[in-house]
Amino acid sequence: MIIEIENLKKSFKDVTAVDGISFKVKEGELFSFLGVNGAGKSTTINIISGILGKDGGTVKVCGHDIDNEAAEIKRNIGIVFQNSVLDKKLSVYDNLKSRASFYGVFGQEFKSRLEEICELLDLGDILKRQLDKLSGGQKRRIDIARALLHKPKLLILDEPTTGLDPKTRITVWGVVDKLRKETGLTVFLTTHYMEEASESDYVVIIDSGKIAAEGTPHDLKNAYASDFIKFYNHRDEAEKFFKERGYICKNERDFTEVELKGTAEAAEFVKQSPQLFDDFEILKGNMDNVFLKVTGKDLKGV
Amino acid sequence: MTELKKFFSLVLRNTKYYFKDKVSFFMSLITPLILLVLYVTFLKNVYIQSFEAAFPEGFTVDDRIVNGIAGAWLMSSILSVSAVTVAFCSNLVMVEDKIQSAINDFRVSPIKSTTVSLAYFASNFFVTFIVLMVTMCIGHIYLAAVGWYINAGDFFMIIVDCICGILFGTLLAGIVGNFIKTQGSVSAVDTLVSSMYGFICGAYMPISSFSKGLQNVLSLLPGTYSVGIMRTHYMGGYLTALSDAGVPAEAIEGIKDGFDANLYVFGNSVPLGAMYAILLGTCAVLLAAFIAIVILKSKRK
Repeated sequence: MIIEIENLKKSFKDVTAVDGISFKVKEGELFSFLGVNGAGKSTTINIISGILGKDGGTVKVCGHDIDNEAAEIKRNIGIVFQNSVLDKKLSVYDNLKSRASFYGVFGQEFKSRLEEICELLDLGDILKRQLDKLSGGQKRRIDIARALLHKPKLLILDEPTTGLDPKTRITVWGVVDKLRKETGLTVFLTTHYMEEASESDYVVIIDSGKIAAEGTPHDLKNAYASDFIKFYNHRDEAEKFFKERGYICKNERDFTEVELKGTAEAAEFVKQSPQLFDDFEILKGNMDNVFLKVTGKDLKGV
Repeated sequence: MTELKKFFSLVLRNTKYYFKDKVSFFMSLITPLILLVLYVTFLKNVYIQSFEAAFPEGFTVDDRIVNGIAGAWLMSSILSVSAVTVAFCSNLVMVEDKIQSAINDFRVSPIKSTTVSLAYFASNFFVTFIVLMVTMCIGHIYLAAVGWYINAGDFFMIIVDCICGILFGTLLAGIVGNFIKTQGSVSAVDTLVSSMYGFICGAYMPISSFSKGLQNVLSLLPGTYSVGIMRTHYMGGYLTALSDAGVPAEAIEGIKDGFDANLYVFGNSVPLGAMYAILLGTCAVLLAAFIAIVILKSKRK
């Protein structure tokens, strides 16, 4: 296990931010840590990375205890913060050089590491440019480069794609996927985009400082998400049909949506009333539904 | 050894960060230069008349000495005040790192928080020194033009005085900077220091022109002695020239008393050595406070 957390607790005056959570992260996996703002995600990350102290529990990263071996843990972690914390006025090169020095990476060692990272993240042509002058996607690549300078075993991505346009999000994930494939890096992700979480190996959902659910995306969908059937024609007949059977129908601009228990149930209804189903689609429940079911809160717009 | 290399790397980063922001550098430099320009434009004659009033009636001295001593008096004011005000202005790297969360990037790295704090102090010292030396060069070009009577020994001691003043200013700024977390408080503190410090250390107005009570209060503030040592070395060569020109010793003592080259605590004269001792002793206390704050903060998360 690369992260082992037992009964972690942290309060700020009267507010309990993390309330006795326990979870483990396996080496090499993409681990998603989900929750609305204020759920306790950032507090947990800040404790793991040594920014914040804890009130109780144990935290082990790469086998090192945070209480006694914080420096060793820091050597094994790379973090991409939600908002870039690099020096906007300095060049990419100066930023990377100063941050590498924090890990004792100087001189020739820095040069060769920089070459590797430039190749991996395609940074060659922007090294001399001032950080301020780069696009959102380029800045994110630099943030990732900074996090990888010291060859960490664990990469923490704190909402890495929030505020980025779809194309840049795809670029960022392309980089992360490449890294995982080529280096076997463990990735600890927090995100508001459930389609990103659905690609994870394991998911923990935190709500009000406590773990509300955990499992693989497949297990969570099976346990919490429903299937949906959407009618584009015969909307009135479909609504009547399902309301008579006690189902709740939701009318949208172009379709009427009915929540079902599973795909088999949908197939049964197609057999019963084929005349209703000349323009419809059946959708598997997704991580958005899981999150909504588990927490009662919608992540969209948070 | 590695921690020392990390320290130097961080000092370099802080210094580059400061100088990359041309506006900050310009603002740090512009304040002392504005004082110099204001002096030459508006106040020069007032100071010259004050010096001439100290001479015996009907006695005339070469204009270059009188113009020079008035300029030298002002340079001692500008440099001793700037050592503190520029240190507060250039401490913005430390504060901006907190505001923009760059400090979190340091905290997740295996670099000691004491190294980070000392690097802020060192880079602030270095930046303030550069700004002061640029100001000094410009001021000395002016002095050379109107009348240069500063000997090599005093010139060297003026640089030493600058270093003592910067040490005092940087430590003060470092301690205050530890408690500043917002841009608003940075501006408030900078404004307060820039507008007040020159008066409370007797740089803008000679302490001797204040009431006795205020003179005693100001003589208890260590900043006063930063101005005092600078005055001694800036005015030394000019006072010798006045003496050589035949100005009586009593008149010269009058000038030293009236323009703070001599300082008094409750009526007792403070010798130059004591001025250094007070200033450096204060620096030692501030350094101890700075280190205590850094250690306490590193233990508290």
